[in-house]
Formats: sequence, C-alpha cells, structure tokens
Amino acid sequence: MSRGTLSLERLNPLTTLTGAAAVAVITTAAGHWAFSLTVLGGLLALTARQARAAAVLRAAAAILLPFWTALLFMHGLFFPEGRTVLAELGPAAVTREGLLFALDAGLRTGVFVVAFLLFSFTVRVPELLTVLSARGLPPRLGFVVVSALTLLPAAADRIRRIRAAQEARGLVIGRSLASRLLAARLQAVPLVLSLVHESGERAQALDARGFSGRQPHTSLRTVPDSAPQWAARRVLLVLSLAAVAVRVALALFGGRA
Amino acid sequence: MSAGPLLAAHVASFRFHGADTPALRDISITADAGSLTAVLGGSGSGKSTLARILAAWLPGHYGGELRGRLELGAAGAGGRIEFTGGSDDPRIDPAAWAAHVAYVPQDAAAMLSTVRDTVAGELAFGLENLGVQVEEMRCRIADTAGLTGLQDLLERDPATLSGGELRRLAIGCAVIRRPSVLLLDEPFASLDAEGAGTVERLVRRLTAEGTAVVVFSSTADTLCRSASHWTVLGNTVLGSGEHDGGRQLAAGTPGTLLVAGVPADGDALARSGVVVPEDAPVTAPRRIHAGGATPLLELIDVRFGYDRAGDVAAPGTETLRGVDLALRPGEILAVTGANGSGKSTLLRQLNGLLRPGSGTVLLKGAPTDGTPAGVLAADVGLLFQDPRFQLFERTALREVAFGLGAKRRLLRRNGDDAGVRERALAALAAVGLDAHVNTHPLELPASSRRLLALATVIAREPAVLALDEPTVGLDRRGLEVLDTAMAEATAWGAAVVMVTHHLAYARARADRLLRLDGGVLTPLD
Amino acid sequence: MASPSPQQPSLLLPEAPKRRRFLEILGAASIIVTYVVLVLTQPADIAAGPGSLAALAAMGGFLLGAVLLVVAVLPTLPTSTVVLIPIAMVLNIVLGQFVGSTLVPFYLDAIGTVLVAVLAGPAAGAATGALSSIVWSLFNPTVLPFAAGAALIGWLAGLAARAGVFRRFYLVPFAGFLAGVLGGVVSAPIAAFVFGGTSGLATGAIVSAFRAMGDSLLAAITKQALISDPADKAIVFAVAALLVYALPRRASFQFPFVRRYRVLAGREPQGREPAARA
Repeated sequence: MSRGTLSLERLNPLTTLTGAAAVAVITTAAGHWAFSLTVLGGLLALTARQARAAAVLRAAAAILLPFWTALLFMHGLFFPEGRTVLAELGPAAVTREGLLFALDAGLRTGVFVVAFLLFSFTVRVPELLTVLSARGLPPRLGFVVVSALTLLPAAADRIRRIRAAQEARGLVIGRSLASRLLAARLQAVPLVLSLVHESGERAQALDARGFSGRQPHTSLRTVPDSAPQWAARRVLLVLSLAAVAVRVALALFGGRA
Repeated sequence: MSAGPLLAAHVASFRFHGADTPALRDISITADAGSLTAVLGGSGSGKSTLARILAAWLPGHYGGELRGRLELGAAGAGGRIEFTGGSDDPRIDPAAWAAHVAYVPQDAAAMLSTVRDTVAGELAFGLENLGVQVEEMRCRIADTAGLTGLQDLLERDPATLSGGELRRLAIGCAVIRRPSVLLLDEPFASLDAEGAGTVERLVRRLTAEGTAVVVFSSTADTLCRSASHWTVLGNTVLGSGEHDGGRQLAAGTPGTLLVAGVPADGDALARSGVVVPEDAPVTAPRRIHAGGATPLLELIDVRFGYDRAGDVAAPGTETLRGVDLALRPGEILAVTGANGSGKSTLLRQLNGLLRPGSGTVLLKGAPTDGTPAGVLAADVGLLFQDPRFQLFERTALREVAFGLGAKRRLLRRNGDDAGVRERALAALAAVGLDAHVNTHPLELPASSRRLLALATVIAREPAVLALDEPTVGLDRRGLEVLDTAMAEATAWGAAVVMVTHHLAYARARADRLLRLDGGVLTPLD
Repeated sequence: MASPSPQQPSLLLPEAPKRRRFLEILGAASIIVTYVVLVLTQPADIAAGPGSLAALAAMGGFLLGAVLLVVAVLPTLPTSTVVLIPIAMVLNIVLGQFVGSTLVPFYLDAIGTVLVAVLAGPAAGAATGALSSIVWSLFNPTVLPFAAGAALIGWLAGLAARAGVFRRFYLVPFAGFLAGVLGGVVSAPIAAFVFGGTSGLATGAIVSAFRAMGDSLLAAITKQALISDPADKAIVFAVAALLVYALPRRASFQFPFVRRYRVLAGREPQGREPAARA
C-alpha cells in the first residue's frame, strides 16, 4: 500500500468536505448503477492509498453489508412493480426490476457511505471547525462537535470507574439479561448525574472566558490552503450544480424523474 | 486606577433556589492591589459559594438570590453593582467581569474548554472568543506560559497533564486577560508536595506583580499564613436546625486570630473547623495488637503492569514488581510514595478490581483469584481517591444502603429493608451526616462527600479497610471522624491499610509505615 | 442599579440575543415543504430504479432544514444549555449502544436528545437532535439525512415538557408514542427515496411483508416506521424522564426552562415566588 502521494489528510478540510458532498450529489443525480459502480471503484482505489484505509473499509463494511443484505432480501424477493419475473417462490417473486433497484440503491448508498467516511476518517476535526467558523458558522457549533468527540472516550472511562466503585461495594454482574439490565440502570444514572453536574460548572467557566461574547472570534490555528484547492472546490461546486440542473431539466422535459 | 481596594463586596445574604436557609449571611471582603487575602472555613461554610459570587459566577445567573453589593475599584462608576434579590436585579456579564476578577474553581479541570488539544490552544481559547488578533495572542500566551511555568508544555494535550500542571494551566487561563483580582478556591486540593510547591510559587509571583489574590481554603497552610488578612467563616451546627454556616465568625490579620501560632480554645478559628497544620490533635500512642495473629490479607510476590494491549507487561516495566505484604487484625498500615508510584494500583489489588499479573493475594488464607470483586467487597472495603467516582446514588441514605444486605435484583431495592436502613443510618451518624440523610451526594460540600464515601465503606464492616488518600479535602471535623472510624474498625478486629502522601499524618496514625518505590514496598522509619 | 460610565465597557449583560425567528421558520419550512413535495410527487413507477430527483430533494431539503435550525437556535441558547448538548450526544451514543446491546429491536438513540429537551426546551432539543445526527454521521454517514427527524423528536419532547407532561410519569410514554408516530412518518421518505430501503433484517422483513401485500415502497416503509418508532420513542421518553427525576434539584433547577414552565412536578423551590413579585 503506497501512502502519501494522495493523502487526503494534507488537504484543507473544506476541500475534502466539498469533494465528498460533490461525489454524493453527482452520483445521485446521475442515477445509474454503472456510474455509481465506477465512482465506488474510484473511491476504493483512493481509500487504499490512505494511511487509515483499513479503518475506513472496516467502518464501511459494518454499515454496508447489513444494508445490502436487507436491500437484496427486500427488493429481490418482493417488488410488486416488477414485470420481468425471473423466479416465483410462493408469495415472493424474484424480478429483474427488483434486482436492478437493489443494485442501483445499494451502489448509490455505497458511494455515499465511502465518500463521507473517507472524509471523516482523514479530516482533522478542529481544523474543519476553524475553517467553518471562519466562514460564518456559529463558533458554538465547533464547540459542541469537538466537545462531544472529546467526551465520548471520557464517558466510556467514566462508566468503567462507576462500575469499579459499585463492584467495590458488592455488585456482581452476571451474564443474564436481568443482571445486565440492572447494571445498565445502575451505571446510566450516575453517568448522567456526574456529566450534567460537571456541565454546570463548565458553563460558568466558559462564560467567564468570553464564550457567549458576540464579537467575531479569531483563531490561533491557521489551516493551510492553496490556490489549486480553492479552484478545485469551485469546480466541484459547479459540477454538482450542473448535475442537479440537468436532472431537473430532464424531469421537467424528458419524462424520467 | 483608583486608590481604593480593587474589589470590595458585601453579601447581606445569598440563598440558592429551593433552599430554606441562606448559604451566606453578612460577609464583607476587600482586596487591595498586591495583597494576599485568605478566606478560611471548614466544609459547608460556603466559601466556594462566596468565591463564586465574587467571581460573578452566581448572581443574576444560575443559582439563587443575592442581596448585597459588589464594587470594582478599577471600573469607575459602573463598577458598583447593587443586588436586592429581586428578579430585576442587574445581570453581570461574566466575561466583562472576568477581565477584572478571575476565578479558578476547586476542580481545575472544569476550567478547561475540552475542545482544545494543546495547552497553547487552551490558553488561547479565552482570547479567541474576544477576537484578540493572532500576534497579540501569541505574545500573551508566551507571557502567561512564562509566568505559570508552562513553557515546555505548550504543545502537550491538556488531558495528559499532572495535577499541579493542570492547576497552573487553569490559573494561566484565568490570568491571561491580566485581571487585577484572582480568586483561588482550594488551590492545593489533591496536589502532592511538589505540585503544591509550584502553585504556591506562582501565587507569590502574581502578588509581587500587583495582582490581588484571594485564597479560599479549609487549611491554614503556609500560603494562608503569609496572607495580610483572614476572614473566617463558620460551619458549626448549633442545634434545632440553626447553624452559623456562611456567617463571618472573625476577620483580621493572622496574628490576631492565632495566639502563638495555634487557635485559642473556643475562638472562631477552632469553631470554624479550619485545619491548622501545627495543631493536629495528638492521640495516645497506639498499642500494637498485631502480634502473632494470622494475616487477614496477604500479598505474595504480586506483580502487575498496565499494558496497552491488556496483556501482562514486560518484566521491568510493571507498576508493581514483586510486592509482599501481610496485614494483621487490628493493624493500621500506611503506604507512602510519589504521585504515580502505583499506590492506588496496589489498593485495587486488595479487593480484586485489578488482578495480579503474577503472584498471589490471600484473603483470610484463601486465594482470591476467580472470586468476583463484588464478592470480595464483603471483606475488603475500598475508599476511592476521588469520591465523585464512588458516589452514584440519589440520596446519602440510598448511597450507604447500596449493596448492603441481600443481593441486588432488578426491581427490588435494599433500602426498603429495615435492617439495612438501620445500618445505613448508623454509618451516616458515625460520620456526622445524620442531618443529610436525604441530601443528594453531589450537593454535599467536598469534605462531607468524602465522609459519605467513608460511611459507605464502614457500613459494610469489612475485615480490611483500604483507604486511598483519606485525608485529602477533609476539614478538622472530618479528620476527627476519620480517626474515630479507624480506631473503631481496629477495635472490632479489622485491619486498615491507607495510602497517603501526607507523611506527617501517616506517622501519627499508623503502626507501620511502608514506602512504595520502584514497584516494591520497603519499610520506612 | 448600576449605570455604566461612558468610557468604561459595561460590566452588565446586554439584552438577551434576539431569536433568529426567520432562520428558524425557514428551517422548519424547508423540512415541511420537502416532506409534502416528496409525498405528493413520489415517483409512481419505481420500476425504473430509485428516483434520483426525489433522493436529491430528500437529502438536500431535510439536511438544509436541520442545518438552518441549528444555525438559528445555537447562538440564542444560554451556555448552560450549550454545554449540555455534547453530553446529550454522548448519551445518545453510549446509552443507545449500552441498552441497545441488550434490547435488540430498538435503537434507543435519542435518550440524550429528550433529556436536553426536557431541561432546556424545544429549540434546544431540536438543535441537539440535529447536531447529534451530524456528529454520529462522522462514524456512520447514513444517519446524516435523518437529522431532520431527530430534530423533530427533540422539538416534540420539548413541547411535551413545556405542556407539563413530565410532571406525571404515566403520561410520558404516551407523549413518546405520539412523537414516535410523527418522527417515523417524517423519516420514512429518507429511507425510501435516499436509501431505497431500511437497514437490518427485522425492519427489512416488515417492509417486505407490506410490499408483498402490494404497498408502494414509501407506504411500506412508513407503516414499518409506525410499528417500531412509537414503541422505541415511548421507551426513550420514559428512560429520559427517569434520568431527569434522578438529577439533584440544584442541577435541574439551574435551567430557566425548568423553572419557568414548571416542567417537573411538586418540587417548585420554596420562597422564590415573593422574591419574583417584589
């Protein structure tokens, strides 16, 4: 696996975000399984050159495999709109249209999932938020998103501590459903209590540090950008708009929605 | 700048929403440029509440109704703000106020934004919010880092800082806007000697530069001793629901309040519950009953290491490298050691929360491996270092009753059981919390919270009491309760093992003193 | 009362920030219009493949609406609510996984959202729901288009709290049930038009059963949502209510919404009334 030459981590986060959104929009507008398949292939080739390729693929598989299975089952067997019946299985009927529908929808979602996972696994979230708030999104949005990402592992750690404290006072968690439900109840309440309790103090500290101020914020962090990236974003934007425009025009004058 | 005090405040009364009695009554405080002022009071005296009022964290915002006056010398005519307790009271802009009066809470971590991955970024957070230009920001960060001694840590992740470093970062975040007054709530709470030393030096540097520093503390430590003015708050229960908590008991210079360096009997300082270090009560020398009795608990060549993969750590990198320990009935054993030497890890071996990588733990002669921690808990009671992670119930009573009596079931609770209730109430009475049976544990003051955690341990009457830094955050009454609890436990034949960095306390209380260093225990003395 | 001197910046808070009504209405309108357009113009014949225009409209309209709501609401919330939102998002994920691992047929992924809605009101609830989907989409992009449905649940929970539902516990599951009906109906077009179906075998089987009876894809998915969502949200509302009841009074009463609308029963702090009238 070669890495580095096409590493998305070096790009400005706005570029990768625009890229992911444009790929999703254009693929959806194109609305053809062959196009989706080509794009998906391209995305997978790009993924293979990333340092976190394995993580992206694992996450994508965890989402897509159950989804594809469900699609195949749903439309492969039951598709009342289908005309070309390939096989009859009692109440179910395998139709050509149903299978094509599943293929179409499945590949489109595949592109959507891989494109956005590729973005989120290669983006540095603080940089993304710096860029977005410089473009007018409320700075609080950045706070909320980053804070949630920081708290996530902290909350898991907190649950472990609470559980240790309860075991030190005689709690034995068995394998039965009732025992696990009891554990869930016993640990969820203190988790919420301690998080909410701390948040009160944090709110006051944030206010004292000017968090609620309405003057424009500045940023210590600078995010590298370049003219080619700027141009690339414009091109992607124009292409997406064009794709949607063509689709709307076809719907209005050409018949197929 | 005007010639008067930088900050002058009078709190006629302050009451939390939903509280029947005011938390603070009739307190006046002033802070002059370059001065160090100490507000001393035991647990429940309302000193944190006072600090928050002075910091504008409470009035007109969350919390409660304030009657009184805040006056900011440097802010001219607009600096005098009156509160009448009504809903039309002025609402202070906390950010504008913090430019003059900065506050660092007892829990330094609460000061951090949680959204910055470097120390420099965290320091910058407050400046970014104010729209300070990047060049100016870099200068101020460099200045503040120099002042607080954080120069070499600027690129570190705040989550990885030690207690002392974290406290200095919190102070740095507070002073980066160069306030004229700095309020510090228990600045040394849960710091070891080295961490406390760095914070104390920082405070002295700030006063030398003209900042008025007000320290809120339950201990009259060396820093408070050098203050120019003391305000002592009361917290004694006077009976029939009356108490002098939140009332100003005395004010003056340390010299007038301390007679020959100790509080005179019956005076304000003694009544307040403030710990005056030289004045630690002397107990009768303990008789050692640890004769030839068989050990209650034995550790034989215990090795343990944390490893990222969860496997056994490589030899030589473990936290515990062959610990031998025998604990006999009626014995009090103290273990000291630097922060991070593995003291807490050692205690967790005793009750099975952590299992040795190799070696054996014997409880009453039987090996403990394979027995769940929840079962071992019947014999080994562990007091955690941070009570926030030990307390999880809705009321103090339910907290103590948790896990007492029969095994827990999903839809049945043990608090209904009369015997359990009685035992829980007795344990609460033993730590002096009988008036707080229905209080939420998180609403108790810090010292009472630790005592509640202690009550949860002694209610189970375990054969072994394992106490992790039991003295931290306790006021004088709390220390007395702890002494009594240990004495009673040893009297019924239990053994106590405590880990502490409070060496003087360990010497005064323990039968044996061990030191954990390099992963092994060695006798001290 | 203080009167700030002209040369000194005021120490007092300026007037509360204006609510961005316009953006709020625009956001809500975007969601409603998208839904109506989708239902009215749903492709009659899907045999030719999943409709591409409907997918674009569903994705764009709902996402735009959710983002507009967030941008409108977030700057007007008090900080005590803003710091609660990340906690709610963490609870959505952690408790959802935690409880969800034992109770398979439900998602239970909105406990934190409902909690915030009860403590801080409908606007905060809506913002929390939408933001939660946005953050969760960093790990699973397929939840992104459902942001509008999550926002709706948060908003409805806040309305229920304001109406006093959470004062009586036995009313709570009913409110959750109704919210689940609405939420399910709004989310169904996303599943139908953007993804062409639902994920998971249990839901897939239910959809297939309705399809076998000749329903259109949207109708089948809507009916499936009406089977699972109301029960799911009834549980979520009940769990969130129990968590709120377990909070210390000082913590829950720090939220002005709780005090103002008497969201919680019988625990109105004593001695506040005279002071408020004075």
